[in-house]
Amino acid sequence: MNAPSPKVLLIEDEKLIRRFVRVAVEEEGCQVSEAETMAQGLIDAGLRKPDLLILDLGLPDGNGIDLIRDLRGWSDVPVLILSARSQENDKIDALDAGADDYLTKPFSVGELRARVRALLRRRSRSGEAATPVVEFGTVTVDLSQRRISRAGEAVHLTPIEYRLLATLLGHPGKVLTQRNLLREIWGPSYVESSHYLRVYVGHLRQKLEDDPTQPKHFLTETGVGYRFQP
Amino acid sequence: MTDEGNPIPRSEERFKPWQRVLLTAVACSATTLLATPLLGYLDLANIVMLFLLTVLLIAVSLGRGAAVLAAVLSVLLFDIFFVPPRFSLAVSNIQYLVTFAVMLATALIVGQLAAVLKKKAQEAQVREQRTQALYQAARQLAGALTLEQVIEIARQFIRFQLNADAEILLPDGSELPAGKATHTFRVEPHLAKMAQDGGQLVRDSQSAGSGYASLYLPLRASMRIRGVLAVAPPPDSIDLPAENLALLEALASLIAIAVERLHYVDVAHTTQLDMVSERLRSSILSALSHDLRTPLTALVGLADSLFLIKPSLPPAALDTAQAMHEQAARLAGLVGNLLDMARLNAGNVTLRREWQPLEEVIGASIKLLGSALAAHPVRVALPTDLPLLEFDAVLLERVFCNLLENAAKYAPAGSAVEIGASQLGDHVEIRVCDHGQGFPAGNLNALFEMFARAQTESGKPGTGLGLAICRAIVEAHGGMIGAENRPEGGACVFFTLPKGVPPIVEEESA
Repeated sequence: MNAPSPKVLLIEDEKLIRRFVRVAVEEEGCQVSEAETMAQGLIDAGLRKPDLLILDLGLPDGNGIDLIRDLRGWSDVPVLILSARSQENDKIDALDAGADDYLTKPFSVGELRARVRALLRRRSRSGEAATPVVEFGTVTVDLSQRRISRAGEAVHLTPIEYRLLATLLGHPGKVLTQRNLLREIWGPSYVESSHYLRVYVGHLRQKLEDDPTQPKHFLTETGVGYRFQP
Repeated sequence: MTDEGNPIPRSEERFKPWQRVLLTAVACSATTLLATPLLGYLDLANIVMLFLLTVLLIAVSLGRGAAVLAAVLSVLLFDIFFVPPRFSLAVSNIQYLVTFAVMLATALIVGQLAAVLKKKAQEAQVREQRTQALYQAARQLAGALTLEQVIEIARQFIRFQLNADAEILLPDGSELPAGKATHTFRVEPHLAKMAQDGGQLVRDSQSAGSGYASLYLPLRASMRIRGVLAVAPPPDSIDLPAENLALLEALASLIAIAVERLHYVDVAHTTQLDMVSERLRSSILSALSHDLRTPLTALVGLADSLFLIKPSLPPAALDTAQAMHEQAARLAGLVGNLLDMARLNAGNVTLRREWQPLEEVIGASIKLLGSALAAHPVRVALPTDLPLLEFDAVLLERVFCNLLENAAKYAPAGSAVEIGASQLGDHVEIRVCDHGQGFPAGNLNALFEMFARAQTESGKPGTGLGLAICRAIVEAHGGMIGAENRPEGGACVFFTLPKGVPPIVEEESA
């Protein structure tokens, strides 16, 4: 690997959690810098220009959601959120504000490393020219020609199903909140009509998943949204 | 005429009937005496005018009865003292009979008109005075801060305006209080209940004056009937006339509005208190959750990070690290269960209900459990026509996770776990069944109690909170949960969710 090792900024107030997260992330070949507070984190994010931000939502000195909004004004660095389960709403707000993924405490080092790897891979790929053909499982999607085939056979999608598929494919691995998907596909007046989204995700699974009841690619993040896993 | 207890005394009431007869007689005699010396100067026709004037004055001052008497007396006196031959009833000229008739008729009509006008004027005055009183009562009721004040204002109004006693009965929950002994009359509870339930005025004419209330007016407010106004008229009057009834009904609606306003003030106050305590409770739970989870997170992660140490630790140390990870993760699960139970038991669980397909949350639960279900294939068989259901996905995921985890814990490795659903009337029943030994015989409902364990002495880990959490969640959704053993062996837990009316998702014109 000749490329410089990616820089990761970790914003977390708990010393012991910082310690093992640092060890785990360094194991992925990254340089880790730490910040204990929201204020310090925002300054470091500007100075060091990290390739990945790991942010604890339960910081004592402020709201992580504000930090993400602020950050998204001038950077599209991937953000991984660490949250406790009692912070459901904060988590959704953070994802709505532009965070990419989340981990619920307690999490294992294995999960953490997998998420970090996925986010960094996406980051490095975003520089390359986007390829119009996406493949997952036995499905091939040609976005330039709007052609979808599964195990060699053409699959017909309705316009909304296609828009939903294209949106999900556009953010592989990223958690897309219900709100974001509804706004993107149905428009702002539909953000509360989550049943539309659920019904159409069901259609996509029926048409593209081997076992629609136990999907492998169009994953549900319960209470949050959906994630496309290539 | 005398049965209206209004506060303005009328002339009819100022004099007793015999006094009025006497006054009329005196007035007519005085007119006769006054007119006699004028007989030489005046025409008889003008003397008639004097008598008519007398009748008019008597009608105005003494009322209709006196006017009739005065008319008859005037005709007689005129005949005896003025019409020739004088001092006899005989009449020399037959023409005077016409004079008498016209005089009598005129006197009667004038008397009647005057009396009616007087009465109308008096009534108008009374009405005006009552309207004023009603305005004042409305103003006072609008400012009342407690129910006691409302009751006092109403009773004073009725006492002053109708000289009657009254009581306001407010239902305690849905029951009207039994008759109170503190006041001067008693309330017939079943009549009050009739008024409360029927929303109509109930009138009891038999018991008037016997120490019981005889009128029961429902206090009808915009949302519902807030209580009953019971009125006991004074013992000497048999019944209340219609105009007083209208007054009472107006008062009843004013009271109803005041009571309803106080009720909502109360509701708003309670809600605010509830919100404050709810916020406090949830912030305590959040803080507790954060404080308990942070060290557990560190413990799990630090145990894991031992695997990353280079050079690698000896296998025995790594085994210990793995065990530490597992125990810490178990502890985290336990803390999670306890906190969930605390949250659910604290009441007022806020459900984030959304319409969604059941299969999605089942798939998510299976995915979440991951390796814990590795030895137990899950077979999901849902009817294709299953409608969308309205539930909180995060909580229902807990239900499925707990049930699947139980099945994996108690059923032998390799045996399948089955999830099915069926529509039963206005509910959907969902079943999670395994192929294990089933629940031990005995009271299956006790399984859903907190800290209940199917096999108390078994070495299986668990707190007995899983099923209790399931029950709390299902019941919060308006469903019920139960357990049974299948005849072919294996345990089944079933629960219901109400169907409701799912929203329509329009089909696309593809």
